[in-house]
Amino acid sequence: MSVAELEAVEVQREAPSGLWRDAFYRLIRNPGAIVGFIFVLVFVIAAIFAPLIATHDPVEQNLLLIANGCCPGPSADHWFGVDLLGRDLFSRIVYGARVSLLIGVVSVAIGFSIGLVLGAIAGYVGGIVDSVIMRLMDVMLAIPGLLLAIGIVAALGPGLKEVMIAVGLANVPIFARLLRGSILAQREADFVLAARAVGIRRPTILFAHILPNSISPVIVQGTLAMATAIIDVAGLGFLGIGLQDPDETPEWGSMLTEVNEYLQTAPFLALIPGTAIVISVLGFNLIGDGLREALDPKLRGR
Amino acid sequence: MLRFVVRRLLLLVPILVGLSLLVFFWVRALPGSPADSILGERSTPALVQEYEERFGLDEPVYVQYWKYVQTTVKLDFGVSSATHRYVTDEIKERFPATVELALAAMLFSILFGIPLGFFAAKRHGGLFDHGSLFVSLIGVSIPVFFLAILLKYVFAVRLGWLPSVGRIDVTSEVEHPTNFYVVDAIITRDWATLKDVLRHLVLPAIALGSIPLAIITRITRAAVLDVQNEDYVRTARAKGLPPQTVDRRHVLRNALLPISTIIGLQTGLLLSGAILTETVFAFPGMGSWLREAIFNRDYAVLQGGILFLALVFVLVNLVVDISYAIINPRIRYS
Repeated sequence: MSVAELEAVEVQREAPSGLWRDAFYRLIRNPGAIVGFIFVLVFVIAAIFAPLIATHDPVEQNLLLIANGCCPGPSADHWFGVDLLGRDLFSRIVYGARVSLLIGVVSVAIGFSIGLVLGAIAGYVGGIVDSVIMRLMDVMLAIPGLLLAIGIVAALGPGLKEVMIAVGLANVPIFARLLRGSILAQREADFVLAARAVGIRRPTILFAHILPNSISPVIVQGTLAMATAIIDVAGLGFLGIGLQDPDETPEWGSMLTEVNEYLQTAPFLALIPGTAIVISVLGFNLIGDGLREALDPKLRGR
Repeated sequence: MLRFVVRRLLLLVPILVGLSLLVFFWVRALPGSPADSILGERSTPALVQEYEERFGLDEPVYVQYWKYVQTTVKLDFGVSSATHRYVTDEIKERFPATVELALAAMLFSILFGIPLGFFAAKRHGGLFDHGSLFVSLIGVSIPVFFLAILLKYVFAVRLGWLPSVGRIDVTSEVEHPTNFYVVDAIITRDWATLKDVLRHLVLPAIALGSIPLAIITRITRAAVLDVQNEDYVRTARAKGLPPQTVDRRHVLRNALLPISTIIGLQTGLLLSGAILTETVFAFPGMGSWLREAIFNRDYAVLQGGILFLALVFVLVNLVVDISYAIINPRIRYS
């Protein structure tokens, strides 16, 4: 290893770890972020250990329970009451966390990785490639997010995989723009010039030097995108166009669809799934805000 | 200034071409052939063939695209397979409803968001500040349709203060020349109808305005905090101007720049949110219409509606960009 390369490696290792360690300490001293972590932790645990936590089969219908009118509220046996088909609401909420988390993570990963590649290429290559990619992103941004997702689901058909792709693709332009912007800002930086001067190849400069330095706004955006993804998935579910068979896969948004007419008699049917959505979304938003402040101390208290 | 407007208009061309290509190929990606999609349940092989010949679907793709562009430019989106009416005619009825709802939502969010953010910044770190941050955090974390259901439950079902569905009382037989019910009622000086229409607007507007309210509050707060520490504000204070004058003429006026951009950017969110809000309140606008179209697999409506809304969104952003350049001369040269 030449001296230049050795130093390049050292500089790269020192700087980010310092930034991240500082950011971490700032983050754990932020009460909002801690509350966010707790919310998200509850949500993730419910999702992962759903079969252990759920007290009943989430799809088992028990019409006897609703024989005396809809619907019995919370009781010792059914903590959150039962829904219109006599299914245990608590178990459905717990399993619903699974669907939301899965779709959220996968769709953000899709949006993030496609957006990352497109944004990185556009920002680093520049010229005509940049123009073509960014105009395409402009077109996608010209269609409101939920509408774009609806269009994609309409084309692909309903289903878990399809919703992930739809919500993920709707996120692509946001990540691509963000990354391109921050790469453009880095491209002329001294450390890039130095890397070029010692003869490091362009892809290596892009992936090993520029990207790690552009990533912090993307991570913040990624956390906030999780929140939006959960809301979008619930929105699609609420409109009844998300999953193939909402009766088989408990999903929070679709739980709110039919209860509209039962607000008078059984408001908890709307309140409980809605609160579950709000808590998980709030969790990701709090962490996202906390991360933003931690990574950019200038923003403190803004 | 003229150069900026021209450049901005030219940028519109690739976006419109891309948009039309996207929607064109989207319709072809839908399950079933376009003929099947448009004909819906009436589809038979003979009809499909007749349709394909009539609309030139047996011709090469680029010819088809060109024809599609020609009809679309004339705002001819075909016929709804559910109602057998022209999509354009339905848009004429539905779009004004959504515009009224969106404007009411925007008005609500601006009227409350700017003062909320301003006073939060003035009492930076205080109880009011934390309260406004908390409210805006809840605002961006609550799904529009859940808030809509909550509002409906509390104010329509429980308290019975406001109507829970529709745009106007069902028994009303008033004529609507412009389809903007508020405007119609004002033109005809029909104050009872005006009151009825406004009462129907309140809950959907609050639900739809919640996200913009949260965002406008945050941006206003951040902008006021920024501007407050500027040299020119200190100078204004130092020369003995009354605090209210400093706030109005120096702080608020400069803080309005970022706020105005954000307000423009909210249009897309409003249109997305309208689909959900209108569904909860059975509000007969573009949103509930598109939702029905999804269920009926009414592709002519979906295609026309999505393209139309995207066009509106692009045009609104254009207007926002241009007006922003008028307010803020610095942007024109960058």
